[in-house]
Amino acid sequence: MSALENCYNIFDMREAAKRRLPRGIFEFVDRATEDHLAVTDNRTGFQDIKLRHRALVDVSGRSTKTMLFGKEVTLPMIIAPTGAAGLCWYRGELQLARAAAKAGIPLALSTASMTAMETVAEQAGGRLWFQLYVWKRRDLSYQIIERAKRAGYEALIVTVDSAVSPNREYNARNGFAAPLKPNFRMAVDIMRHPAWSLSVMGRYLTTTGMPKQENFPPEFQQSITRGVGDRAEGMSRDSLTWEDVKKFRAMWPGILMLKGVNRVDDALKAINHGVDGIIVSNHGGRNMDSAAATIRVLPEIAEAVGDKATVILDSGVRRGSDIVKALALGAKAVLTGRATLYGTAVAGQDGAAKAIEVIRTEMDKTMAYTGCNRTDEITTDIFFGDRETNRMASA
Amino acid sequence: MARLDDCYNVFDLREAAKRRLPKAVFEFVDRSTEDELALRNNRAGFEKIKLRHRALVDVSGRSTKTTLFGKEIALPMAIAPTGAAGLCWHEGELQLAKAAAKAKIPFTLATGAMTSMEKIAKEANFRLWFQLYVWKQRELSYQLIERAKNNGFEALIVTTDTIVPPNREYNAKNGFLLPFHPTWRFTADIMRHPVWFSSVLMKYFTTIGMPRNENYPEPYRRPVGNDAHTREVMRQDSLNWDDIRIFRDKWPGILMLKGINRVDDALKAVSYGVDGIIVSNHGGRNMDSAAATIDMLPEIAEAVGDKATVILDSGVRRGSDIVKAVALGAKCVLTGRATLYGTAVGGEAGASKAVGIIKTEMDKTMAYTGCNSVDEISTDIFFGDRERNRMMAG
Repeated sequence: MSALENCYNIFDMREAAKRRLPRGIFEFVDRATEDHLAVTDNRTGFQDIKLRHRALVDVSGRSTKTMLFGKEVTLPMIIAPTGAAGLCWYRGELQLARAAAKAGIPLALSTASMTAMETVAEQAGGRLWFQLYVWKRRDLSYQIIERAKRAGYEALIVTVDSAVSPNREYNARNGFAAPLKPNFRMAVDIMRHPAWSLSVMGRYLTTTGMPKQENFPPEFQQSITRGVGDRAEGMSRDSLTWEDVKKFRAMWPGILMLKGVNRVDDALKAINHGVDGIIVSNHGGRNMDSAAATIRVLPEIAEAVGDKATVILDSGVRRGSDIVKALALGAKAVLTGRATLYGTAVAGQDGAAKAIEVIRTEMDKTMAYTGCNRTDEITTDIFFGDRETNRMASA
Repeated sequence: MARLDDCYNVFDLREAAKRRLPKAVFEFVDRSTEDELALRNNRAGFEKIKLRHRALVDVSGRSTKTTLFGKEIALPMAIAPTGAAGLCWHEGELQLAKAAAKAKIPFTLATGAMTSMEKIAKEANFRLWFQLYVWKQRELSYQLIERAKNNGFEALIVTTDTIVPPNREYNAKNGFLLPFHPTWRFTADIMRHPVWFSSVLMKYFTTIGMPRNENYPEPYRRPVGNDAHTREVMRQDSLNWDDIRIFRDKWPGILMLKGINRVDDALKAVSYGVDGIIVSNHGGRNMDSAAATIDMLPEIAEAVGDKATVILDSGVRRGSDIVKAVALGAKCVLTGRATLYGTAVGGEAGASKAVGIIKTEMDKTMAYTGCNSVDEISTDIFFGDRERNRMMAG
């Protein structure tokens, strides 16, 4: 646990996760696609925004609490759906979900996760969202939606930015393709990480066997060494359309969100289809390497959507100040994928909890410096560089 | 071939080529001129263009196919003329041409190639283009044009951006200069690359001797490395628009100018009856202060409209680059280094792999941006034009 004690920010946790995880798994989590332009730009987008300190406001009563879909969250953040949490820690999704529930923020469980949605609902509780990949065989996706409904999930997130599998060249180099092809390099990689081998892989092998994607329909639930992901023909995803969204809307009475909206026209179409939440995301820079930073895409989408739907930002969040910037530009909340996954990789639930707390503290301090007592006081008035806005605010 | 299996993108192919080729040959292919500003800027130009993912379009029937000069090709890409393919692999031009024919894209043979156009036409006939350097003694160039015509080449590309030899300082440092003097340094370089020596150079020695510029007119068809007299004859700094008029008369097929960087030049080319305009800075290899071709493309494409076919050259390494070029008005791109790296690593198989990688990348970018066909690609998929985006939403 001392590894966790020495982590003071997300980047420290990333370093600790790098030491603990086999390289194939760390890179699957940490890297993105092709030349890593999108993942870099996501960070640069946040870093380019400069804030103004506001003097002499009593901020002793400030709070990061906010309302999201009619219910309170302790900070405007949700754990993003990630497929590899179960490889970062034994039943990593459960660890993440417990940390989220304790912290009072929602968790989104991925279709590709290695813990069944029923298990997460029973053993972690809290506000649970389910992320759906839609395959060519639509009946498979309908089965999953029914399961999520029965298990009491509050929201359904349909991922709309993954029509084709991305070029993640490093996965192929690491033998971390689908299905996993254990090669000599991977064997050496795993043997050099005995703590991970014992506490993660060892526990799977002595309990449930090789981890598998437990939310897949039963006929596709194969262990990760036999069929990670969705290479089966019935699982291709490039035919998803708005017609499907119409069906999902009819089938799903709860909160419905689309993840991976990057265009104003798409956002407005989503509203016409009765979607409740719009997630501006480039999949953490992991899909199309030419994608723009989400924080740059956000303002025009938030402006066009207004209060007709809840806009959420995903991709690139590593610091509490990032959340403040996203809120100022119109997001109601953000998703964190890698940030909380690094924590999980270092120390399971404790690590995930620490990641959340690090970010919450950073956000709290940024609010204090900029003179914001409540999240709804956060606007572009605190930005440096938009002179017009700043002058008007002073009038 | 194991080495080729380990290459997942063009940059991997570049690294593998670097290990395989003597330094002098690799740098001749890979580097450019002076401070290599133009080379880097070409890449930066592509990288700074950001695209928007489009949600919920059925792209299961998408295709990278397109029509170029009235005929279909598998993707909007053609192999650029390069002089050193024959030093990357034994008869490298032939390997490249075969890969292009298999992939159903055009191949351009350079005047400076080491495989004759006759041999290429016989063994790899899909769509063949011939690139022409015009020398002081025009008669020599006219002979080449006749040969290209007789061999059924579909297009003639006149290079207009190389009136003086560029400052390629590294070539001088590596002893890779014309006239060719095998220096101690170059010899040592070759000896450190025995695989290349035996599979490329020795194969020439045991067949035709020292590789030669097989497309040069007979008196100048000498081993690589020429004398001062040849260089005087081959001066290119008197080329002008009157020559284009003559070429247009002599060449009934598709005529293109390579190295157009100005709107006025492009419009002049159109008025001279040129069919294709190639926006190129010679891969950044000539004038180091040249702007990125992707930055110059839009105004030229806009001015030319459909009066000629605009093609982009220089800097293409990823399939997304092609999508960006097409969005900005190019009908096709040329790849020089990208496919040459592949050739250096695995001959025809390597060149095929390079084409395949770029095609896959382009296909995925089309899928993400919601384009089912090449003619659906427009700047509508660009991020950064807020006004346009808002209009689209209306």
